[in-house]
Amino acid sequence: MANTKNKKLLMILILAAIIIIIPVLTPNMYIMQIINMICIYIILGTSINVLTGFTGQLSLGQAAFFGIGAYTAALLNTRAGLQFIPCMIGSVLLTALFGVVLAVPALKVKGSYLALLTMGFGEVVRIVMINWTPVTNGTAGILGIESPVFFGFAFDTLKKYYFLIMIFVIAGIVYQNVILHTRTGRALIAIREDNEAAELTGINVTTYKIRAFVLSAVYCGVAGCLYAMMIKYVSPDTFTNNVSSVILWTAIVGGFGTVLGPILGGVIMQVLPEALRFLGDWRLVVYGAILLVVILRFPGGLYPYIEKFIENRKAKKEAAGAAGRG
Amino acid sequence: MAILELKDVTKKFGGLTAVDGVCLKVEENQICALIGPNGAGKTTVFNMITGAYQVSSGDVVFNGESICGKKSHEIVERGIARTFQNIRLFKSATVLENVMTGFHCKTKTGMINVIFQPGKCRREEEETRQKSLEILRFLGLEGVKDSEAGSIPYGHQRLLEIGRALATAPKLLLLDEPAAGMNSQEKKELVETIRKIRDTYHLAVLLVEHDMELVMGISENITVINFGRRIAYGSAEEIQHNNDVIEAYLGRSDD
Repeated sequence: MANTKNKKLLMILILAAIIIIIPVLTPNMYIMQIINMICIYIILGTSINVLTGFTGQLSLGQAAFFGIGAYTAALLNTRAGLQFIPCMIGSVLLTALFGVVLAVPALKVKGSYLALLTMGFGEVVRIVMINWTPVTNGTAGILGIESPVFFGFAFDTLKKYYFLIMIFVIAGIVYQNVILHTRTGRALIAIREDNEAAELTGINVTTYKIRAFVLSAVYCGVAGCLYAMMIKYVSPDTFTNNVSSVILWTAIVGGFGTVLGPILGGVIMQVLPEALRFLGDWRLVVYGAILLVVILRFPGGLYPYIEKFIENRKAKKEAAGAAGRG
Repeated sequence: MAILELKDVTKKFGGLTAVDGVCLKVEENQICALIGPNGAGKTTVFNMITGAYQVSSGDVVFNGESICGKKSHEIVERGIARTFQNIRLFKSATVLENVMTGFHCKTKTGMINVIFQPGKCRREEEETRQKSLEILRFLGLEGVKDSEAGSIPYGHQRLLEIGRALATAPKLLLLDEPAAGMNSQEKKELVETIRKIRDTYHLAVLLVEHDMELVMGISENITVINFGRRIAYGSAEEIQHNNDVIEAYLGRSDD
């Protein structure tokens, strides 16, 4: 028992060391930017994982929540002069509200109709960003967002900002894992597996679907606020349907319905297009082809396969060990 | 005291009357059966009791309270649990998780207090796990607790559905064709299991079943419906000798 506890502690220490060492080893700002974007996409991937992976509600409009979070933070900072924490709270509250707004019509539809509804929601939000000029400054976007400052310490470089994002990434993943192993997580999975049976097992399906939408929206809101205060600029171009699909892909490639899948997905979806830059115009073609191969070869995402691979190796090792002793 | 009472319950779908003024009583700790030829309206009655359908007229009283117009999950909370004719488990969750899901309405951990009261939530989770294991042990499913629910044998899946229903701490358990697809040995065991459940968990059982041997062997009270109407009501002995019932099942002889 103590042995497994020690092992766990060791794992956490190693993980902490890796997290701390990453920015130290990063040679330039370009790579640091990619790493920070990976972190933001891990949060976004987790958001859709909660809604689609665990609750079974397909969403093609996650960029809308991401955008609402980013614009809220941008506006609260530039217009009202609010600091990071109140901006974050604002983003969370407003995205939660919009989570409810989308959930209410979403309760009435499922499958491809739900996909269309959420996609439509994404477009509506983007069009409002473009046309509500007095507030959103239209296509020009909002400039001049300030870096977060805590007690005189400014998170004004990408490396410093990385640690701020990391706090939210860790908190987000841990919270997802905790929730999953409570009655809430079981209720969400029950809804994914069989809506009616869930209701007849005493689960209020309506409120739990709304909760899933709200939780998912809040994850996006957090990511949006972090994004706005890192890039210091928001515009409607950032929150397109294309981004919604990248978020969806992040979860698909990593593994829907797994806690750690979005980490893997986030890394792949952000690194791959950058790593393929040497291909010039062919970059996106190859990018798409690789993703296709991944989902055909690894249906259910990469994470479950890696997990199985490690388990198999462990079993083999143990078998070999037992044979050696015998 | 009657735990469940249907008073003149009628269900109309447009112009079609599926259930027409049916009365039914289930006493506490009683095993009852609802039988009738195919299309008689048995499942419709079940759906009205569990709130999946709203009654067109009449009243459903459970434990002294009308449950008409209540949502399904509210009815489960009050103490009615059911199983399904075509097994409906949460297939990709484990056997244990399926039962734990059943404890939903008896537990409290929410999305926010899990952050502020982690200790309390962990205790509740552990308690849920222990109670679920107890149910699995009772049903003889402990050995497959970590298997995916969809992957265990058919008979086990049926038992697991009952286990999930028991987790909601019901006062009345509705079983929709529990013996469907079982061989005679399994049916015998099922009869024993149902009796054991009634005695251990002190609940009433209402079952819909086509297997007459099973129904006659286990039920203390039988209601027969045909074309949406109640045609007979009584003990197994009475039902077996009731002319209307014989006619409904076998047809009328013309001589």
